[in-house]
Parts: sequence; structure tokens; C-alpha cells
Amino acid sequence: MKQLSRGAFALPGTSLDFKTGTWRNEMPVHTHWGAPCHVACPAGEDAQAYIAKMMEGHPKQAWEILVQANPLPATTARVCPHFCEQACNRKHMDQPIAIHLIERYLGDEAIKNNWAYPVDVSKEDGDPVCVVGAGPAGLSAAYHLRRLGHPVTLIDSLPEAGGLLRTAIPVTRLPRDVLDAEVGRLLKLGIDFKPRTALGRDVSLEQLMGEHAYLFLAPGAAKSRHWSVDGAVPSDLREGLGLLKEWLVVGDIPKPKSVAIHGGGNTAVDLARVMKRAGVADVHVITASGLPGPDADPKDVLNVVPREFEQAVEEGIVFHAHRTIQRLLMRGSKLVGLEMVHLKKLPGAGGRSSRVAFEGTETVLHVEMVVPAIGEVVEPQGFENLLGHADYFKADPIGQIAGSDRVLVGGDARGDRGTVTAAIGDGRLAALAIHAKLTGKELPDPKRRPFIDYDKLNVNYFEPAKRAVEPMLALEQRNDSDEIEGGLNYAQVTHEIGRCFSCGNCLACDNCWTLCPDNAVIKTVERAADGSHYVFDYEYCKGCGLCAHECPCGYIGMVSD
Amino acid sequence: MQSAPKEGVAGQHNMEELRKLQPRYRGLEAGHRACQGCGEALAARLVTEAAGPDVILTNATGCLEVFTTPWPQSAWRLPWIHSLFENSAAVASGVEAALKAQGRSTKVIAQGGDGGTFDIGFQALSGMLERQHNILYVCYDNEAYMNTGIQRSGSTPHAAMTTTSPPGKERMGKRHMKKDLLSIIAAHHIPYAASASVAYPADIRRKVRRAVSIEGPTFLLIHSPCPLGWGIESDVSIEVARLAVQTGLFPVIELERGELTGVMPIRNPRPVTDYLKLQNRFKHLFTDDPRARKEREHVQALADHNIEIYQLRGEGVDALDTDGADTVRRGGVVD
Ligand SMILES: Cc1cc2nc3c(=O)[nH]c(=O)nc-3n(C[C@H](O)[C@H](O)[C@H](O)COP(=O)(O)OP(=O)(O)OC[C@H]3O[C@@H](n4cnc5c(N)ncnc54)[C@H](O)[C@@H]3O)c2cc1C
Ligand SMILES: Cc1ncc(C[n+]2csc(CCOP(=O)(O)OP(=O)(O)O)c2C)c(N)n1
Ligand code: SF4
Ligand code: SF4
Ligand code: SF4
Ligand code: SF4
Repeated sequence: MKQLSRGAFALPGTSLDFKTGTWRNEMPVHTHWGAPCHVACPAGEDAQAYIAKMMEGHPKQAWEILVQANPLPATTARVCPHFCEQACNRKHMDQPIAIHLIERYLGDEAIKNNWAYPVDVSKEDGDPVCVVGAGPAGLSAAYHLRRLGHPVTLIDSLPEAGGLLRTAIPVTRLPRDVLDAEVGRLLKLGIDFKPRTALGRDVSLEQLMGEHAYLFLAPGAAKSRHWSVDGAVPSDLREGLGLLKEWLVVGDIPKPKSVAIHGGGNTAVDLARVMKRAGVADVHVITASGLPGPDADPKDVLNVVPREFEQAVEEGIVFHAHRTIQRLLMRGSKLVGLEMVHLKKLPGAGGRSSRVAFEGTETVLHVEMVVPAIGEVVEPQGFENLLGHADYFKADPIGQIAGSDRVLVGGDARGDRGTVTAAIGDGRLAALAIHAKLTGKELPDPKRRPFIDYDKLNVNYFEPAKRAVEPMLALEQRNDSDEIEGGLNYAQVTHEIGRCFSCGNCLACDNCWTLCPDNAVIKTVERAADGSHYVFDYEYCKGCGLCAHECPCGYIGMVSD
Repeated sequence: MQSAPKEGVAGQHNMEELRKLQPRYRGLEAGHRACQGCGEALAARLVTEAAGPDVILTNATGCLEVFTTPWPQSAWRLPWIHSLFENSAAVASGVEAALKAQGRSTKVIAQGGDGGTFDIGFQALSGMLERQHNILYVCYDNEAYMNTGIQRSGSTPHAAMTTTSPPGKERMGKRHMKKDLLSIIAAHHIPYAASASVAYPADIRRKVRRAVSIEGPTFLLIHSPCPLGWGIESDVSIEVARLAVQTGLFPVIELERGELTGVMPIRNPRPVTDYLKLQNRFKHLFTDDPRARKEREHVQALADHNIEIYQLRGEGVDALDTDGADTVRRGGVVD
């Protein structure tokens, strides 16, 4: 071939000899941020991760990711306030992902198909640990300790495990076959479960300490707070949690014509709904808190799952917010009504807030019965030495009780928890901490991780799509036994996972690969070192930042080079 | 925040091998000298990706020519020839005639910037179309003569600042309108002409495949932001390109034999200020000067006019409209 003159030809692709990477002063790096749903979940569930697995068409693997944090997903899907959804970035576009319905689908599939926990049951090489109380906190701790290879003894004073999940939460919200399936599966992990064994009655703290390397206390809070109105108490007073528990066991509940329930938590609202369904015509809830709503201060609203409140209103419960009971109106020993007054929690002179009642706002409510449901404290029997005169245990964020080296505590017994998910998270954290202490590893960090904000996503790449809606029993179909809310079918779940932004993690959209003007994003079939399918070719990347800007999930960050 | 290992990632892979294994045709390789975030480099890569490999390229003088072929290297992995600023279409016509004489079916693609197309290469282009050569002509429209330092072209939009249309006492940036090139092309009654934007790669690929499958002259105008010339950060080229389409300032349309046969509908038209305020070349439109306000309204009217004459207003949600066309679906690679 005739040699062409200088400048007239060049070999194809020889520009690869010129490494444009030297122009760069910022470099793109894959950065896996926590998703808001993940960071917000007290139990530590990573919804982003299991939704992504679902998206790949592997529900079982998705469930396995889920139960790495929370062993009771079919349960929490039904009763948790869904902190994940409250935090979900998708709320800024249309509505949050219905994470609890995806969780519920996976939890129910696991029960239906008998999926086993990804736990090696034969592993028992750790030091023995005893867990006191088989509510969600205790069950979670026992589960995680077994995952980590510790032999576990779990004791509970009651004949069955489950704690308040079994003894207080109505079956219309948590069917017992779901609870039984999840608790049963958990106890089969080689846990030595000792029912009808109460600490303080059947065994002492010292005894348990002697037999185990560590103790995790999760006795919940079972003793009702003392209640009176200016010293007055009706002679036939029954407190709320007791009534609910009795109803669950005996199936009987008092049926006055009208009732006022005093309190602003789950017990008050659940009891109100149970009494209403049992035929009590007028059911009132009197609470010092405000009601949930768009403008409500989250610190000042009823401490219940928001949709439980909505359903209660639907069912005809009358709420009296920011109110307290000032006087009982008695005719002889019979209650005929009570006097309510407006009040609000206000900051006082010393910075501490206190409740202030407003004179001139008194009203009378005619009711035949009043039921206090103002909360519970720890039943001290057996724990006197650890508790002192306090209502709850005092502990550091991972549950370590000050001055008691080998005892950790979690769940409602801490006083500042109050949800099933928080209890499960406490159990997990304590198990990790105990394992770390026993093996000389670094303690888990209970601090909330940073998460990726909505404005770091590129939502141009997402389409609006309506949130899937769960089926729900119509008002007239609601009874004492049937679950009120239903789950989604596979097609609906598929729609819902398709709405997830995959905050902070690559969803393999190809944008960076397609849009890099310099061919500096390379795609791999195998996963790259960081888990994605894309690798930056820093020899050529000029650091323009375009890929980072156009990544829908915020998975690419620019750092100085 | 946990960040990926810095060097580890590239280090653990044999990049040279991986580059060869990319599941797409690479007509334009890395190592070219375009500025960071250059829309023209991206557009040319997308065009050759969709058209290659049985293609011969011609190129007018301009950024694309200069940044891809610093002697003795070439970023092209296709036969490519450059002669002059004004004659890309003429050179392509000759190449196509020669291929035809040899009985070969290799497709010829002529390329040029907007200066080389709207202005100086226009008569060569018009001749190429009129003589019905089997050529796809692609114009990378970055709306000024960039390679020589940002001079206004026939394509520079009204009110934009360039070095030869500075804002000042006399006027607020370019006085004249952006030339309506597609209408002139349409008047040649060629089988297919279209506009596209780098913000919508799938749309570019579809249009390129369509155009090269047609026997006869076809034309593609691709809106390609120039970070340097437009005064934008290098990371927002796509963002800016997307806004040009979403405001209606750059209509994405298809013409067959001169008739409008398709548009990318705009789902939610954005105000032109969303587009203008990101760019330094329109900075003077955001001053206190009362003329600034007037010019902003003028640009909005131009966008409204485009929306009206091309009927760009979408009717509800459409998978191919300005919002739907770039929706990401999960799963670029299957496990
Ligand atoms: C009516 C009602 C409705 C609720 N609804 C919801 C809801 O919808 N969502 C939500 O997130 N939370 C809800 N809660 C709160 C939730 O149930 C609790 O936060 C959670 O159960 C606390 O878990 P725990 O493991 O700390 O304690 P518990 O569930 O109280 O379990 C403690 C266990 O320890 C055992 N125990 C106690 N003392 C001893 C001892 N000395 N020796 C041996 N065993 C002992 C008890 O028998 C019990 O089984 C509700 C609570 C009530 C009362
Ligand atoms: C006849 C002629 N006049 C002027 C020039 C100088 N010149 C080279 S490239 C260029 C500008 C190219 O602008 P455009 O076609 O818009 O392409 P861009 O660089 O913007 O991609 C000019 C004016 C030339 N090469 N030949
Ligand atoms: S969009 Fe998905 S990843 Fe993001 S917060 Fe919501 S559920 Fe989590
Ligand atoms: S788009 Fe390409 S060149 Fe720009 S920062 Fe990303 S990898 Fe580097
Ligand atoms: S742009 Fe898409 S493929 Fe690239 S890192 Fe982000 S999510 Fe993954
Ligand atoms: S001047 Fe503009 S068109 Fe030319 S290489 Fe730079 S960014 Fe691209």
C-alpha cells in the first residue's frame, strides 16, 4: 500500500494513547449512601436492598435480606407505624413507597412457603446468654444471638412467647396464626425457651448471672401507672391494658352505654375500638396530645400508628384532644360523668415544659365508665436492685445498664421506646454488643447514619405513579376476629417496587454508561468491587461530573482528586 | 457515608480487556480532547454507536474535527475524512458517488457543527440534498462557532451572548433569530429530516437507525450543549439540553418529505427562565435593565410559538414525551 503523507491518516482509536484522566481535578466515585427508609427503621431493615432483590425477581433472597435485621417481618408489617414510609424520599414526588406492604408480602410468602432463616443452627460455639422476656425485644435478641452462634436461654413468665404482641394487640390487627408462625419459626433455632418462668419468682437475677456470660432484660412495662382524679377513683375502676388482655383471653369486655378512655397511646385506641365493636354506643378518648394531621407537631400527637387513628375515627370513636379530666361526677358511688378541661404542654420558666390547664374551658361529658390507659411502668419484682426507685431501666444507647457490666436491657422496659420495631432494634443491637464484647470486637454504633436527601437524586428519570392501596374491610364487615387490612398480590407488589427510587444505590440504569462523553464508564457483567456493574476508567475520565449529575439515585459522588 | 475504594476499583479490573468487551459499538473512542462535559462529543458517540460499523464519515472543520483527530492520533474507529470547513457535504457526496460506482452499500455520514451547516457549508449541503445523495447529514448544534472562540452563527439563539454578539448599549446579545434550518431542509423534500437532543439518547439512536435505513438524503439536527460557549458547569450539559426541549425552545420533531410527521410532546412545559438562568450566555437577561425583562418575555414568546406551530403540547402522560422518554428502568445488566 502506498504510504500516505504526514497528517493524512491516523490509526483508528489511537487517541487511547492520550490519557485525558490527567485533566481531572475531581473524580467520580460510587458512593453507597444509606437510604432514608433504611436509616429511619428502628429495627434496621434495609428496604432499599430488599426491594432491589425483589426487582431482580428473587423474593426469597429479598426476605433473607429483610430477616438479617428483623426476624418478625410479617408481624411488623402489620403493627409498625412504618417510620420507613414517613422518611421515604418518594413522598416528595407523590406518595411514599408502601414499604410495609412489600414487607408484608415477603413475610407472608415466607410463612406460606416455610422459608427457613438463613441461620446456621448447628453453630453453638459462643458463650451462653440468657434473655428475660419473650416479647419482641427478647425474641429479637435471642434470634440475633443464635445467628452469631451463642447458646440462648429465653425465659418468660407466661405460658407462650410473644409479649404484648400476644397479650394486648387485637387479632383484627395481628392475626395469631401469623404471630404463631413467626414466633414458632424463631424458637426452632435451637433456643432453649422456658415458659412459665418468672425472674423474681422462679429464678433470681444472681442465679441467671451465674449460669450465663451475659443477660439481656426485656420484661417490657406491665404495671399500670397509678391513676386518680384529684385523689378520687371510682370503686369499680378497671385499667385499660388489663381490660384488653382479659378480652383477648376470656373474650369478654364491659359494655356500658358510654365510656371515656383516658390516654393517648395504643392501649387507649385499641381498647376504644374493641369496646365500640362490642356494642358500647358512645366511646370517647380523652388525651393530652394533639391529633395527627398535616400541620400537627409530631412531638405533640397521639402515640399510635397513624392509620389506626384514622380507622378509629371511621369507626366512630370520638377524640377529645388537648384535654384532661379535672373532676369525676359521681351520684353516690356511681359515675355519671366527668369534667374535662383544655390543656397544653407549654415551656415553663426553667425551660422545662409542663401541662397547663386553661380556666374557663371546662365541659361536662356524660359517661357511665372511665378507663385509664395512661401507660405502664416496669413491674419491679425481681429487678429491684437494678431498678432502684425508677419507673424504667436507665441504660446507654446500646442497652448497657450503668454499673452492671454483664446486663443489658431493651424494649419497653427502657421507658422511651414504645413500639414493636424499636424493641426488635434494641434486641438486635444488644445481641451485636454482647457478641462484640465476648469476642473482643468493636461495639456496634447506634448512631443514625447519614442518608441521601431527595435533592441529591435526579428525579427527572422517574415517572409519577400511584401508590398501591391495600384492601380493607368495610366498616360493616369489621368484627372481633377478622383482620381489617389485607395484603397486596404479586402484580401489585411488582408495581410498588417499580416506584422505588433506589436512593443511594445503583439501580443499573446505564445512564452513566450512556452519557459519559468520554467513554470512561465501563460496564461489567460480573459485579465490580463496589457491588455495582460499572467501573470508572480513570485513565480517561476528565471529571466533568456529568455522570454524577445524571445518576438518578445519587450513587455517584464527585470527590477532589 | 461509605465511599468506594478510590483506586481499587479500576485496579482490580483489566480495563483494556473490559473496554473491548463493551456491549455496544464504539465508533468514537476515549482519549479525544473535547472539553469536560462536551455535548457534541457525546452526540457524535451516540450517532456512530447507532450507525456503525459499516459507515464512512466526513467532517467539516470545527470542534468535532479538532478534538477527535490531533495528528497522529484518531479517536474514530471508522473511516473518517476531513477536508474543509465548508465542504463536508460535498466531500460526502463524492465518497458516496465513488461507493456507488463500486457497487458498495457502505453508508456515508457527513458531519458538521452549526457554523459548518447553517452558514458556511450550507450550499454544499443544499446541493447534496438536491442531488439526492444517499447520505445522512448530522449537524451538531452547539449554537455558535465554538472552535474559534465562540462567535455567533446563524444558529445562535436570539439574545444569546457570544464574542461577536456581546450585550451592551445597542442590544441584549444576538439581535437576530435562530435560523429555522429545518424548514429550509424541509423545502428540499427529502425523505427524512429530524431534530434530536443529547438529553434523549434513545431518541437519537432511533432516529439515526431510521435515517441510515432510508435510501436517499436524510438530515439530523442534534442539540448539543457546549459548556465553554454557553457558560455552564460541565456536569449540567444534559440538564440544560433537557430544559431546552422541556421549555419548547428546541423542538424535537420529525419531517418526512417536508411534512411534520412526529414530535416529542412536552408533558409539562417549563418556563424559559429555568433554561436561561443556568447559562452565562444569557446572564444579561437577569439584570435590572428593563430590556432584560423584555427579552426574557421575547424568548418565552419564541418558545410558545414553537409549541404552537409544532403542536408540542402533550395530552397527558405519554411514554415518549419529554418526561417519559428518559424514564429509567432497572436492570442494565442481568445477574
Ligand atoms: C394495646 C397495645 C397495642 C399496641 N400496638 C402497637 C402497635 O400497633 N405497633 C407497635 O409498634 N407497638 C404497639 N404496642 C407497643 C408494643 O406492643 C410494645 O412496644 C412492645 O411489645 C414492647 O416489646 P418488649 O419486648 O419490650 O415488651 P413486651 O412485649 O411487653 O414483652 C415483655 C415480656 O417479658 C415477660 N416478662 C415480664 N417480666 C418478666 C419476668 N420478671 N420474668 C420473665 N418474663 C417476664 C412478659 O411476660 C412479656 O412476655 C402496643 C401496645 C399495647 C399495649
Ligand atoms: C473557510 C474557513 N473559515 C473559517 C475557518 C475557521 N474556523 C475553523 S472551525 C470554525 C468554527 C466552527 O464552528 P462550528 O461549525 O459551529 O463548529 P463547532 O466548533 O462549534 O463545533 C471556524 C470559524 C475555517 N477553518 N475555514
Ligand atoms: S424511594 Fe425506595 S430507597 Fe428511597 S426511601 Fe423510598 S423505599 Fe427507600
Ligand atoms: S461523565 Fe465520564 S468523564 Fe465525566 S466524570 Fe463521569 S466518568 Fe468522568
Ligand atoms: S447512573 Fe445508573 S447505572 Fe450509573 S451508577 Fe447511577 S444508577 Fe447506576
Ligand atoms: S468548545 Fe464546546 S463544542 Fe468544543 S469541545 Fe469544548 S465543549 Fe465541546
